[in-house]
Amino acid sequence: MSIRISTSAMHDLAVTAMLRQQAALSTIQNQVASGKRVQTPADDPVAAAQLYELSRTQSQVEQFNKNSAAATGRLQLEEQGLADAGTVLQRVRELVVQANTATLTDSDRKSIVTELQSRIGELQDIANRKDSSSDYLFAGYSAATQPFVRGNGGAMGYFGDAGVRQIQINAAQYVHDGDAGSAVFMDIAAGNGVYTAAAAAANTGSGVLDPGSVVDRSQWVPDNYTISFTSTSTWQVIDSSSNIVASGNYTAGGAIAFRGVQLRVSGAPAAGDQFSVQAAGTEDVFATLDHVVTALQAGANNDTTRARLASALNGSLQQIDQASDHLLSVRASVGARLSLLSDSDSARESQSTDLATAVSGLQDLDYTTAISKMSQQYVSLQAAQQSYASTSKLSLFNYL
Amino acid sequence: MADMLSTGVSGLLAFQRALDTTSHNIANASTPGYSRQLVTLATQGADQAGNGWVGRGVQVTTIQRAFDSTLSDQVRTATASYQQFDTFAGFAARIDNLFSDSSTGLSNTLQQFMNAAQTVADSPTSTAARQVLLSQAQSLATRLKGYNTSLDTLAGQVGTQLSSEAASVSSLSQSIADLNRQIVRAQGGNQQPPNDLLDQRDHLIDQLSQQIGVRTVVQDDGSVNVYIGSGQALVTGSTAATLSTTPDSFDSTLQHLSLQQNGVGVDVTSLISGGTIGGLLQFRSTMLDGARNALGRVAVAVGTLFNDQHASGLDLNGQFGGQFFSIGDVRTLPSTSNAGSAAVSVTRGDIAGLTTANYKLQYDGSAWSLTRMDTGASVALSGSGTAADPFVADGLQIVVAGSAQAGDRFQIQPTSQAVSGFGVLISDPAKIAAAAPLVTSASATNTGSEAISDASVTSQATWVRGTYTLAFDSTGGWNITDSSNATVASGSSYTAGSAITFNGMSVSLSGTPASGDSFTINATGNVPGDNRNALALAGVLGQGVLSGGSTSIQSAVGQFISGIGVQTNQAQYGRDAQQVVKDDATSQFDNISGVNLDEEAANMVRYQQAYQAAAKVISMANTLFQTLLDATRA
Repeated sequence: MSIRISTSAMHDLAVTAMLRQQAALSTIQNQVASGKRVQTPADDPVAAAQLYELSRTQSQVEQFNKNSAAATGRLQLEEQGLADAGTVLQRVRELVVQANTATLTDSDRKSIVTELQSRIGELQDIANRKDSSSDYLFAGYSAATQPFVRGNGGAMGYFGDAGVRQIQINAAQYVHDGDAGSAVFMDIAAGNGVYTAAAAAANTGSGVLDPGSVVDRSQWVPDNYTISFTSTSTWQVIDSSSNIVASGNYTAGGAIAFRGVQLRVSGAPAAGDQFSVQAAGTEDVFATLDHVVTALQAGANNDTTRARLASALNGSLQQIDQASDHLLSVRASVGARLSLLSDSDSARESQSTDLATAVSGLQDLDYTTAISKMSQQYVSLQAAQQSYASTSKLSLFNYL
Repeated sequence: MADMLSTGVSGLLAFQRALDTTSHNIANASTPGYSRQLVTLATQGADQAGNGWVGRGVQVTTIQRAFDSTLSDQVRTATASYQQFDTFAGFAARIDNLFSDSSTGLSNTLQQFMNAAQTVADSPTSTAARQVLLSQAQSLATRLKGYNTSLDTLAGQVGTQLSSEAASVSSLSQSIADLNRQIVRAQGGNQQPPNDLLDQRDHLIDQLSQQIGVRTVVQDDGSVNVYIGSGQALVTGSTAATLSTTPDSFDSTLQHLSLQQNGVGVDVTSLISGGTIGGLLQFRSTMLDGARNALGRVAVAVGTLFNDQHASGLDLNGQFGGQFFSIGDVRTLPSTSNAGSAAVSVTRGDIAGLTTANYKLQYDGSAWSLTRMDTGASVALSGSGTAADPFVADGLQIVVAGSAQAGDRFQIQPTSQAVSGFGVLISDPAKIAAAAPLVTSASATNTGSEAISDASVTSQATWVRGTYTLAFDSTGGWNITDSSNATVASGSSYTAGSAITFNGMSVSLSGTPASGDSFTINATGNVPGDNRNALALAGVLGQGVLSGGSTSIQSAVGQFISGIGVQTNQAQYGRDAQQVVKDDATSQFDNISGVNLDEEAANMVRYQQAYQAAAKVISMANTLFQTLLDATRA
C-alpha cells in the first residue's frame, strides 16, 4: 500500500466499487425477477446449447403426441369399421345357415336373398368409409379414389392401392395408421386356407360335399385335384396330371382322404359326379357373398339341385368363417397398434416430465441461494455507500 | 554581500512560489491528467567572509511535476487492452442476446418446421396441414433473415464506428503533435519543464490509448513520438500522420484502416491491436463473419436437403415437387488490384465439405491456390478448374475462365449470402410433395421368398406413368406388362438384389421368386394419401450431413449457439480481468501523480509559516537597523 493516495483516486475507487456492487446486484435482481439462471448463452454456454436441444426435443415430443393422436383417431375408425363388417358377416352367416335348411322353398330363399343383397351393400359402404379428413379409410395411398366399386361384370373391384401410411410416434418408432382395403377385404385366403372344395356344376346325383379339413399338413401337395365317382359306390382322386392319387369305396358320410386332407360326401352321388379340391388362392369377401346369392337364386327343387345348393352353401359357410377370421385378425392387429400407441403416449408423457425437469435443472434459478446472495450484495453496497459518505467528509481543510 | 534583508526577501519570494504551486495543486485536484507539481528549493549561494561562508538565502530552482513514465506506460497499455475487451464484449453481448431465448430460438424454429412436415405426414390430403408447413417454412426463412439483418446492422455499426474512431485518432494525433511543438519551444526558452503542457499532451496520449494501442518514446527536446501497430509512427515530433478508413480490396463495403503520411498510405488493419479500434477489428474478424457464415451454412444445409428430398416426391397434382427453398449463391469477389481478365464462378457441391470460413483463391503465374482466410491454412484443390472438371475443395466447385496474371486473387464466401437469398418458392399448398412416386404390392398368392426391396424413379424425364405387373414364370424368367397387357420389359432370369429398370424406374427384389409370383407397381402418381416423402422430409434435419457427414443440422445449430456463448463469456471475463489490471495501474500512477488535499493543506500550513518567518526576518532586520539608527542618533 502506497503511503500517499491521491484524493481524486480515492473518490474514483470508492465510486468504482459502488458501481461494481450495483452491477452485481442488478444481475442477481434480473435473475430473481425472471427466475432464470441462464439469461443468454454467455451465462453458461454449455447449458445454453443443452437448453436449445431440450427445448427442441420438447417441441418434437409434442409433435409426436399429435402424430399419435392422428393415428389413434384413424385406427379407431378402422376398428369400428371392422367391427361393423364383422357384425354384417355374422348376420350373413345366420342367413346362410337358415337358407341351408332343406325345408325352405324358393320363395323363402328369395326373401333371404333380398336381405343378403342389402347386407352386401352395407359391407360395401363400410369398406368405402372415410376418415375425418374425408380420405377413404381403405384405399391405401389413393385416398381420394373410392376403393370398392362394382365393375361391368358385377364383380367387386378394388381401385385403391396396397400402400399403408406410417406415422412417426417416437424418435425411431413408426406405426401403420391403417390397412389397405386389398389386405382387409380382398386378399382373404380361399377355402380353409389350404384348399377350396366345390361340387361340379354338371353333377346329377344328390351327393353333398362337406369341405372337411387338413388332417396332416405335411402330406399336402398343392395341386388341383378332382374327386370323381367312378360309380355310385366307388371314388377316385386324380391330380392335375390325371394320376390317381387315392381311391376307395363310397359310404354316405364317410371320409374321403388323400394327401393329408379329409372331405366328406353325403347323399347319393351319381356315377360321373365330380368334386374339385384346389390349392387355395384368395377370394374377396364380396365374391364370397355374391356366390351365396348366385347359389340361392339358382333355386333348388329336386335332389340334384338341392345337393348342389347344399354343397355350395357349405363351401360358402367355410369361406364366410374364413372372412370373419380374417377381419378378426386384422382387428387384432389394429388393437395391438392402438395399445402400442397408448404405451408410447405414456412413455412420451414421462419423457416430457424428464425433459421439463432437465430444463428446469439447467435454467431455473436456485432461489434460496440467489436471494441470500442478493441480500449479501445489498448489504455490501450499503456498506460501500456509508463508508464513502463518512470518509469523504474527512479533510484537513476542515480544521484550518 | 550577504545581508539579512535580502535573505529574508529570498525566503519571501521562494515561499510565495511554493504557496502558488500548492494553490495550483489544490485548484487542479480534480483536473483530469493533472500531475501534482513540486517546488524544488535550494540555497542561493554564499558570500565569503573572513570567518567563513555566509549564506545568501533560498531560491526556487525548478517546479517539477510528480510523474513516473513507466507507470504512465503501464496505464496506457492496460487501458488499451481493457478497451479492446470492453468493445469486443459489448458487441459480442449483442449477438449473444440475439440468440438468448431457447424457446423461440433457431433450434425450435427448425423443429417446428419439421413438426409441420410431420403434420403433413399425418394427413397428407389436408390443405390446412400443408398450409401450416408453408407458413412454418416462411417463419424459418424470416427468422434466419432476421438474424442475418441483425448481423448486418452490427457490421454496419462496426464500420461506422471504425470511421469515427479513426477520425478521432487523427485529430488526437494532430493535437499531440501541436503540443509537442509548444513544449519544445517552451522548454527551449529557459530549460524549465512546461508542466501543464506536458500534462495536457500526456493526457491526450492517454485518451489515444483508449482508442488504439500505442507506444511512446520521449525525445531529448521534450517531445514524444507515438507509434501504433507494430511500430508505425502516428506522431513524430510536431508532425502527425492521419488514420483513415479505406475500402477492402475485395469487398468495398468493408473498411480497412490506413495510416497516411506525406501522401503515402499503409494498410495497418491487421497490425493494430488494443483500444476500441482493436476491439472492433477483433469482433469483426473473429465473431461477426463466423456467425454469419455459420448461419448461412445452416440455411444451405436445410435448403439443399429439403429441396433434394422434395424434388423426388410427388405433389397433390401428381407432379414432381420442385425446389422448395431458394438459397443465396456463393459470393465471389475479385480483388480491385487484379490485372488479368480471369473470372471465377463458384457453386456449392457436397454440403458435407462446407465450412464456415471464407477463402482466398490466388494465381501465382502458373497455378491457382486456395487459402482459408480464418486460419491461413492452405486447402488442396483437385480438378483443373474448367467447367468440365472444376476445382473441388471444401464442398465448393470452382470454375476459372479467362486468363489471370500472377498475383490476381479472388475472395470466396461460400455461405455468407445464403441467408439473404433464402426464401420459400412454393405458395400453393397442393405443390408440397408429400407422396412417393411408386407404390408396390406383392400378390397375396405369391409362394416365393421374395419381396420388393426398393422401387424408385431413376429418371423423372423418361418416367412413364401407369400400373405395371411384374410376373415370374416357371423358367425363372420375368416380364413386366402395363395396364393394357403389353410387355414393357422382360428377362430370362433374375438375381436377387439386382435392379430391373424400365420406363424410367427401377425395382429390385430380395429373395428368390417362385413361378407364378407377381407384383403390382402402381406408378400412376395419383396417390394423395401417400405420406412417405413427407416423413422423409420430416427426418432430414436429424441426418448427419455437415462436417464430413458427422454433424446433423440440429447439432450444428447447438454448436453455433454454444460457440457464441463461449466467445461472449470469454470476452466478458477478459474485460473484468483487464479492468482490475487497469484500475490497479491507474491507482499506482495516481499515487505518484495525483493531488492529496490533506498533503496540500499541510504544505500550505508549512509554507505559510515559513513565509511568516521570512517576513519576521525582514521585520527583525528593520528592528536591528532601527536599533543602530537609534544608537547613532543618541
